Amino acid sequence: MTSDLTPRRRTLQGLAALAALPAATSWAAIGGLPSAEHRDSSPEWERLSGKLFGGKPLIHGQGVVQLFVPLRAAYGASVPVKVVSKLPQRPELHVRKMYVVVDKNPSQLAMVLDLTTEVGQADFETRLRVDEYSHVRVVSELSNGELHTDSRYVKTSGGCSAPPNRESLHLIGRTLLKVAGELRLEQPVQADVTVLHPNDTGFELNQVTVMYIPPHFVRSIAVSYAGRKVFDADLDFSVSENPTLRFNFVPHSKGELRAEVTDSKDARFFGTLAVG
Amino acid sequence: MTAVLRRDVLLGLLAGGALAGCALVPAAAPGRAVAVAPGVYMVPGSGGVADEHNLGRIGNAGFIVGETGVVAIDTGTSYLHGVALLAAIRQTTELPVKLALITHTRPEFLFGGAAFRERGIPIRMHSRTARLMASRCETCLKALRQQVGEPPMSGTTMYKADQEFETSHRVDLIGRPVQVLYFGHSSGPGDIAVFDERSGALFAGGLLDERRIPDIQDSDLEGWKRALKALSAMRVGTVVPGHGGAASSTAIAAVEGYLAQLEARVRALVVAGASLLGVADEAELPDYESWDQYDVIHRRNASVAFLRVERELMFK
Repeated sequence: MTSDLTPRRRTLQGLAALAALPAATSWAAIGGLPSAEHRDSSPEWERLSGKLFGGKPLIHGQGVVQLFVPLRAAYGASVPVKVVSKLPQRPELHVRKMYVVVDKNPSQLAMVLDLTTEVGQADFETRLRVDEYSHVRVVSELSNGELHTDSRYVKTSGGCSAPPNRESLHLIGRTLLKVAGELRLEQPVQADVTVLHPNDTGFELNQVTVMYIPPHFVRSIAVSYAGRKVFDADLDFSVSENPTLRFNFVPHSKGELRAEVTDSKDARFFGTLAVG
Repeated sequence: MTAVLRRDVLLGLLAGGALAGCALVPAAAPGRAVAVAPGVYMVPGSGGVADEHNLGRIGNAGFIVGETGVVAIDTGTSYLHGVALLAAIRQTTELPVKLALITHTRPEFLFGGAAFRERGIPIRMHSRTARLMASRCETCLKALRQQVGEPPMSGTTMYKADQEFETSHRVDLIGRPVQVLYFGHSSGPGDIAVFDERSGALFAGGLLDERRIPDIQDSDLEGWKRALKALSAMRVGTVVPGHGGAASSTAIAAVEGYLAQLEARVRALVVAGASLLGVADEAELPDYESWDQYDVIHRRNASVAFLRVERELMFK
């Protein structure tokens, strides 16, 4: 059966000009990549959200939180993801926690952010590994207990990604803070924290020994300003090589922006930046 | 039975038509050997991205016929593709295939290897190509099966190279001198070109694509530029690129031009503080819009290049 099918298909392939042959319709079912709508659920998500939120209702729509991801031809090893919150971080109502999920990854929960009102505006940008066509999701937990969610179905390209850069292992853990834009007191200011780290997944083979490279990734980044917590992030290897977060913080005075980092081998690193 | 006969007749007609039209643009007949120089043949791939219609046979392959044997360059995307390439060689010459060279670590060039190996034809690749293959191609094969479907991939397996090498060398197996050119890490860590001394024909592998966006994922851009410079200094006749139609040595300048524009544009974006989120859209290069895979590979290239420049500037 199979041996009969193959030459016939090759014939059809050669006959590119005669596209409308009835037999051609049978091809579509044979191969092809999965597809889904942005708002769809997935078996993986059903399981994980049950565990995380115990059946509490998740409110869809983009009234409170919106997720931005490039939808086509993204580079799977580093897919930029931006979360925008539609409410300011006020004591009476703010985003308390944020969960970032990649349904089809071996480790689905990429990041959990524990936020204070010191972020001013709960917008974040990071980069994720997206192994296969998958939903990326965010869930925002508000201080009143409400759960809001948004999701995007991401089609990455390049199943044979290049391995992470391991040329400067002596720099592992180097943590860089950068403030973007003009500094104004009592206003949210945008900043970046980046940790130089291969963020090894544990699923990659060493090219020389052909043994698995053990997992080695950044586990947490705690950001404070002038001694006050801004946010804590728990993360894992679904976050790309050289984990980076773009966030906001509200300076009340001159101070030091500080990031404390731990990785999965219990190494500790930190970076600081004098602001003002 | 009928299908097979019909195929031969129809493909024969298509190949004839293509040759009559323009000998250097054989894209009309994917899978058939086309002479690009005396004794030098290209078996064109379809281009595009691997899917169930092109069976993943998107890359070019080829072979050089000497006095006593044949050297094959690249093995196709699957076991069945490898079988088809061997059949295409057999239709051209009775001489034995002595060796298959793998130019670079992409599925469409190496997964036909099993077909060659089962006939006792050794597969030779650079040691860094072999290592990259061992570390990631299990995953590539899984992705490829998903893209093209199972039947065209049947019999396709991972394998290990029979022969590995480190440097440029001459192959003296077929009574016709063939050079394997290695320039160090260029378009990929172990990427090679294969040069037929007699005709000046060059199989450029990952180093050159023709009217298709070259993929920079595995590259060292500086090394790649050096390799292209070295190629420009040679007396190259016909170029058989990794993807796209047979070309002249102007293909070298075309790829150099693309890489230069990509780098300049992306560096400017990093310096301006752009977000990775918008890079694919902001790195449009109108000069290359008409190239194959502009919508996919160029967008990805922009992201890859952006990340590299960003890292370079941040941690230098």
